[in-house]
Amino acid sequence: MATVTVHALTYTYPKQARPVLDRLSGTFPAGKFSLLTGVSGGGKSTLLKLIAGLLPNDEPASITFDDQPLSAIAPGQRASTVAMLFQEPSTQFTMDTVENELRFALENQQVPATEIPRRSDAALAFVGITPLKHRKLMQLSGGEQQKVALAIIVAMDSDVILLDEPFASIDPPTRLVLLEKLVALCTKRGKTIILADHDLSGYQQWVDHLAVLADGQLHLLSTAETQTRFAAFTPQRLQLTHVQLPNDQLTVCLRGTQLGLTHGDRQLLTPQNLKFYAHRTTLITGPNGSGKSTLFKALVRLGRYQGHIAYRDTDIKKIHKRHYARQVGLMFQAASAQFLNVTVAEELALSQKYGNSTYFTSTRIQQLLQQLNLAGRDDRVLYSLSSGQQKKLQLLCMLIMAPAVLLLDEPLKGLDYASIQAVMHILTTVQRDLNLTLILISHQLSGLNDLVDLHLQLADHQLTYQGVRT
Amino acid sequence: MNPSLKLALLVLIALEVSFAQVWSVNVALIVVSLGLMLINHIPWRRLLWLTLVPLFFAGTLVWSLMLRGNASPHFLIVLFTRMFVYVYMGGWFTLTTKPLWLTRSLEQNAKLPSKFAYGFLAAFNLMPKIQAEVATVRAAALMRGEVLHVWSPRLYFKVILAAMNWSDQLAAAMTSHGFVEDAPRTHALTVPLVARDWWLFGISLLLVQVGLFVGLP
Repeated sequence: MATVTVHALTYTYPKQARPVLDRLSGTFPAGKFSLLTGVSGGGKSTLLKLIAGLLPNDEPASITFDDQPLSAIAPGQRASTVAMLFQEPSTQFTMDTVENELRFALENQQVPATEIPRRSDAALAFVGITPLKHRKLMQLSGGEQQKVALAIIVAMDSDVILLDEPFASIDPPTRLVLLEKLVALCTKRGKTIILADHDLSGYQQWVDHLAVLADGQLHLLSTAETQTRFAAFTPQRLQLTHVQLPNDQLTVCLRGTQLGLTHGDRQLLTPQNLKFYAHRTTLITGPNGSGKSTLFKALVRLGRYQGHIAYRDTDIKKIHKRHYARQVGLMFQAASAQFLNVTVAEELALSQKYGNSTYFTSTRIQQLLQQLNLAGRDDRVLYSLSSGQQKKLQLLCMLIMAPAVLLLDEPLKGLDYASIQAVMHILTTVQRDLNLTLILISHQLSGLNDLVDLHLQLADHQLTYQGVRT
Repeated sequence: MNPSLKLALLVLIALEVSFAQVWSVNVALIVVSLGLMLINHIPWRRLLWLTLVPLFFAGTLVWSLMLRGNASPHFLIVLFTRMFVYVYMGGWFTLTTKPLWLTRSLEQNAKLPSKFAYGFLAAFNLMPKIQAEVATVRAAALMRGEVLHVWSPRLYFKVILAAMNWSDQLAAAMTSHGFVEDAPRTHALTVPLVARDWWLFGISLLLVQVGLFVGLP
């Protein structure tokens, strides 16, 4: 058990004038589940990284674990004091397989060699992923990777567990499993848990303590305020009131013939015929790791597939790559994959150069930047923006390109409530004005109703169109 | 054979071969390396690559020296075979050594600081990621109307940026899983370093010395 105390913590990123955390103070009680919330870019990740000792802190004494700063704890004991689960599942491993990563972590803690197998197995069993033991980490889905990361923290027996938006790309069932494990760690093993998330749905029954980070300060909410906050998000359900089943009047733009997908040796999609329809917005839903992103990669010729894919009745392998890339564009799940320049202005200029500049005039772009709360950041380095700001800019860049078919992989990932509203409004308007075909994958389900015309569900390795559910 | 000793042996022999001009020793090393690769079931395609690529470079080098310059035939044969010695010995090493096992051995037997040992491993694990990144960057550029060729600086800018980003992420990943520079660690698996390894190392090195000595003009 360890109480985390933050006292008058100020943190400014290099080369920035305003501190992201400004004399922030607060206490996260031992053995409790604290939920840290706030707008995207508000400093939640920064605070967690500082607590975990992953960012250099000029005043080490400002963060203490049971009155001891991290630097006063012996190196071998630090990981058993505090450990962190990252937002991006694949970036938290050093080794190749699950077993080797567990060994690596336990070796660092100087666990005797004879003890390592037992602790590894116990941790895998606790999270319920014993079958993954010998799997390669990079071949696991994001959800499986998060489970492995949690198992490693369990094996290290860390007193304080920090989680930075761990469910950002995790489907509801996996998220529930992880939450139940976390609560068990909290109540049965007395772990202190601090979880950062701007999406408050599904936490109501689990969380002891809600902390809001705003303007560099931490505020603890009263019970009533906490309930109000929760009410704004729950229940988050997919409510599509005007989706239709495809009919003959719709034009087919992309057609898969006996289209199959695999990941490593796992079959994701058993070969099937599939149609995507022009000038409509199609939402693809399905569990995490079921192959939605893999489908998008196949559609833009970045991944292998079985069978054939045709764009307007021509096999996509027979269309010149350069030409096809301008017809079917992908907004990548990771924003940084989209960027080709250094600053915000350069990135927008590139899109304007080759994109639809008659519709996206400079005035309109400025308006859109205003709506997205991105205005006045022209000279900012792209990679110094928060993940939410990157995501919004990435969307804008791809919209300006206005390809006939735009695939959007988790366009709302990591966005706060206000940003989601703004993005949905912009997507709806641009889609209608330019008659675009949008195909999107989203785990963020609320607010999609106005945009979505068709709903494709991936279940049991098959994609099927869904009507309105009663 | 112990991976660290194997690596040391190869580096020592390669160094000696670089200075000595004894083609019979080169041929002997080629035959031994080839034999070892065949015993370890090298895939035929890989062996073909390992042969054709140095053949091209060694061939063009020797050819150009024959056309211009006054190198002796003896020197040309030495140059030609030297290239194959490097590639075949390297081929045998990579075929028979798992990177993680080598890392563990460097850490445990060669007493290399674990920071370097795991840095080496991480760099190795990054290879497929770099390939995927190049493909992604090129696709992302095409979607924005830009064609990035193999020689485009922007491609390298993006890949280097990604690599820098990965190195930060990797440092964070290692720290969060308890890795602290220069702190003592235990070892889940012990890489054996037995008398047989030393004998193999010593005898191999001795044989090369004898060969070089006898073969000197």
